[in-house]
Amino acid sequence: MFAACSTPAGISGIAVIRVSGNGCIEHLDPYVKTVRAAGGKKTLSELSGYESLYGLITDPVSNEVIDDVMVTVFRAPHSYTGEDMAEISCHGSLAVKQELLRLLFSTGIEPALPGQFSRTAFINGKMTLDGAEAVMDVINADSAKALEAGRRIMSGALAQRIGIAEADLYEAMALIEMIVEFPEHDDTEANEERVISLADKAGEELKKLSDSYGMGRLLSERVRIALVGIPNSGKSTLANALSGQEKSIVTDIPGTTRDAVESNIAVRGIPVTLIDTAGITSTDDVVEKIGVERSKEIFSTADMAFILIPPDMTLEETKERIDMPDSGVYKVLIFSKSDIGANPDEDRITEYGESVGIRKIIHVSGKEFSNIEDMEDAIEEFYNSCGSGSSEGLLITNGRHMALISKAIEYIDMAKKAVQDGMGVETASSVLRAALDELGQITGKTVSSDLADTIFGRFCIGK
Amino acid sequence: MDISKISDMEHIYEAGTFDVAVIGAGHAGCEAAHAAAALGLKTILFTLHLDAVANLPCNPSVGGTAKGQLVREIDALGGIMGKVADRCAIQMRMLNRSKGPAVFSPRAQMDRSDYSVVMKELLEDTPNLTLRQAHITEILTENGSAAGVMTEAGGIYRAKAIVLSSGTYMEARTIRGEVIVESGPDGLPRSEGLSSCLKEEGIPLLRFKTGTPVRVNAGSVNFDEMDIQEGEDDIPPFSFAEEMNGYRVMPVSEQIPCHSVWTTEETRQVIKDNMDRSPLYSGVITGTGPRYCPSIEDKFMRFADKSRHLIFIEPMGRRTKELYLQGFSTSLPEEVQEKMVKSLPGMRNAVIQRSAYAIEYDLIDPTSLKASLESRILKGLFSAGQVNGSSGYEEAAGQGIIAGINAAMKVLGKDPLIIDRADGYIGVLIDDLVTKGTNEPYRMMTSRAEYRLFLRQDNADRRLTPAGYKIGLISEERYSQFKEKVRLIEEETARLMSTYVAPTTELAAYLEPLGQTPPKSGVSLAELIKRPGVTYEGLKIIDKDRPDLPDYVTRSVEVDLKYEGYLALEMAKIEKFRQLETKALPEDIDYDDVKGLRIEARQKLAKMRPESIGRASRISGVSPADCEVLLVYLEALRRKNDE
Repeated sequence: MFAACSTPAGISGIAVIRVSGNGCIEHLDPYVKTVRAAGGKKTLSELSGYESLYGLITDPVSNEVIDDVMVTVFRAPHSYTGEDMAEISCHGSLAVKQELLRLLFSTGIEPALPGQFSRTAFINGKMTLDGAEAVMDVINADSAKALEAGRRIMSGALAQRIGIAEADLYEAMALIEMIVEFPEHDDTEANEERVISLADKAGEELKKLSDSYGMGRLLSERVRIALVGIPNSGKSTLANALSGQEKSIVTDIPGTTRDAVESNIAVRGIPVTLIDTAGITSTDDVVEKIGVERSKEIFSTADMAFILIPPDMTLEETKERIDMPDSGVYKVLIFSKSDIGANPDEDRITEYGESVGIRKIIHVSGKEFSNIEDMEDAIEEFYNSCGSGSSEGLLITNGRHMALISKAIEYIDMAKKAVQDGMGVETASSVLRAALDELGQITGKTVSSDLADTIFGRFCIGK
Repeated sequence: MDISKISDMEHIYEAGTFDVAVIGAGHAGCEAAHAAAALGLKTILFTLHLDAVANLPCNPSVGGTAKGQLVREIDALGGIMGKVADRCAIQMRMLNRSKGPAVFSPRAQMDRSDYSVVMKELLEDTPNLTLRQAHITEILTENGSAAGVMTEAGGIYRAKAIVLSSGTYMEARTIRGEVIVESGPDGLPRSEGLSSCLKEEGIPLLRFKTGTPVRVNAGSVNFDEMDIQEGEDDIPPFSFAEEMNGYRVMPVSEQIPCHSVWTTEETRQVIKDNMDRSPLYSGVITGTGPRYCPSIEDKFMRFADKSRHLIFIEPMGRRTKELYLQGFSTSLPEEVQEKMVKSLPGMRNAVIQRSAYAIEYDLIDPTSLKASLESRILKGLFSAGQVNGSSGYEEAAGQGIIAGINAAMKVLGKDPLIIDRADGYIGVLIDDLVTKGTNEPYRMMTSRAEYRLFLRQDNADRRLTPAGYKIGLISEERYSQFKEKVRLIEEETARLMSTYVAPTTELAAYLEPLGQTPPKSGVSLAELIKRPGVTYEGLKIIDKDRPDLPDYVTRSVEVDLKYEGYLALEMAKIEKFRQLETKALPEDIDYDDVKGLRIEARQKLAKMRPESIGRASRISGVSPADCEVLLVYLEALRRKNDE
């Protein structure tokens, strides 16, 4: 038997504590004094599945009432986990929740491990692996967009979309069987052109999904934004302004942020990791030197970079201090501390920036939080520029799904090539079957012996 | 019936004691009896009629798509169908030649009476084997195991294992329109008593229907109004042994051609006007018929948009004028059959020699069998062929050889031989029957195989001969011939991979007409063979020093190389497949103890007791999610045992 508070940490109107485990309803019975129950029943044990009672949770030792609660019971196997379950709706104060859980744990109920409800549901056959996987994604989602993507996958939208491609592949294979199985009957409408066109259709459908991974990946792995600039150019101020937290120490002494400071924030629903780097400088200080190297590395591996230029920085200094890579990093040039004054070299720096692929130029004042919106715009623009956009609201966020879909696309191309090369449709059929096997690992149609490993890896069962 | 009860019976006598008794000398029974006897067991093979051993009561042909592969696999294991078919062939073709070699399927027209005679003689010459005409009416049991059989005449034959291969004979009846006769196929007597005997043992039975078309006299038809279909030269024989001994099929000039015609508007009208007399539609026939081999009236009813259907006219032998009308089977009354035949091109004056009929028969529900083809209900009882729900001679023979081998293994106290889905079509066939079951006569089709590029007719020996040798059905002599063949294939493949040719004008002259860009630098012969259109034969002009090798070696070398990438993909899939096949489910597993199985899956698993997760995954009603649960259960069990 295990229990946990299923509503978010913090204070709320009400909170829900879930208990799962066969016999847990009877186990809880002594602690709940019934005030009123469904069908005039007297105790928790008498309740059938999906019935509730209103009662008082009482500490049997002190005989003190902890809270008045609503308890809904679920009888195995008709519950989320497939075991007996009780959901206790209590008041949402920290004290009440703590007291209640303390009481439960003192009776021998174990605190739930992360994901234990889903894991139990999976083991009891209430949920397939991909369903459990999606639940984990939803649980781990920490931004609105990531949550939405997770929910869509959980609701079966991904399986449904893949089903469209699967249907085309099955039809192509059926045509192939007609061609192969009845060679003496050449009056069929089955021919290679139709096989190719169906394979194409399936491939395009999957391509749409795989294109969404550009965005989807950012939702699961977060947009990594490097804040780059010479010491005291205002990076930390900006980071604090964006995240609304005083995570970096803001001082006027250059070089305060010697090591990179990461903060996870959500900007307009997009999960972002801001990496506030050490200022890039030509220094002899060993520690600082390491920080500088690290900054450069972050610069070149981030998804996005905000390059800060303070008002007193010349073009020459910019070129010397900030080695802007002409790479795929989405670079935004920020003339910072515009509250102090304009940069006299702005036109020349802009020109230089454009030559290395700067995507946007913003003027911002950290201290007064002016133009923070421009930066948020920039983040949103970057996000929208990744991939073909969402595929009817569905995004591939999971690397495993992406790998399987990519493999399926690869097989479909291989099958088309087999037909074009005159290798025979039966060869194409063999490869299309391989594509379906890949997709089946997402939709749960393929059983794979790796699965136990996957499950044990994710859930560490049996410990 | 328990053997202890026979003492109360009159007119019975002890007729002999054998290791293995085989009931029915059709294609399954002949293979089973031969295999058991060849493995050194004292075997008896019963037939209702000695002149109908290995009868071909329907189409006079062996092989075809997927079936041709089956025949070669039977031969590769040490069976006899291929050898007999090679000797009795009157026309040979390789189907699917326009497609890839993976689906090349040999097919041959048989001289029907020769086939029966040659098979009978072969069996008579087999040591340890007794061929006996008798009507078996009882299966005898002792302590819950099969112990012998009893004939209609009261003969008690004791046996340690029994193979039931009674084909379409059990409680059979034939139907022509309103005329229903209690009879086996082809006017032969039916088998009576076995059904109730099986039922008493608790073995579940099904009832199926199949049918056969009319035969007409070739002297009464005009072939000029038909399309001719000649045989082909240079077809490999079915038998690998014969092939390695240099056997060549007869030239086309000595073969007998087939013909084909399309049904006419008149055919359609005749059928339409008489549909009310069809027992299929009037409800007289209750057995389930095959969807892929429907009667002609069924075709017109179900494919109403098709105005005509193709009919093949096949000779029945060299010393007969009988012609078989493939695709024209029917259960309509005889007088309607007459009109139907006369509506076909060239058949205005056709004389019918045998009429078409539908036949209904009892069979064992194959899901009550183990993968070894032994009954899960009555120990020591094996079954094979149409009595297991299959259709076709080749499907029967493929099960027959396995049932015969495993009956022998049972008597010898050894592990059964299981051919899996990646070993051969035989494995696909048996696995489908025993794990999925069937609700119509099961026909082998290449699409039923997951690993079709690997399960080819040309490599059946490489797939199965080692198993045949290990079990003892392949002689030392044949095995060393086989090993030599494999050596040559490997050597030549290695030579092609390591022989590089210069980009000469000669090579360019060969490649350009094939639409291939000539290479700019040196390239291996193996790489060239992979290109579309390039053949081993064609490369001869630039590969002048190649060794002189037999066709059966070079063909395999060519296919292996040409399909290398695709085969590699299939081999990877086979490896994954085998991982699940080898995840054994303990025999004593209590499925009620496995949390999370759905009720349907729990019941099916408890009933069928699959040997592995792989097999469980193919049982209808067991979902991938159920298999995940089983995998987790097994893993948890393993960890518990480790502790």
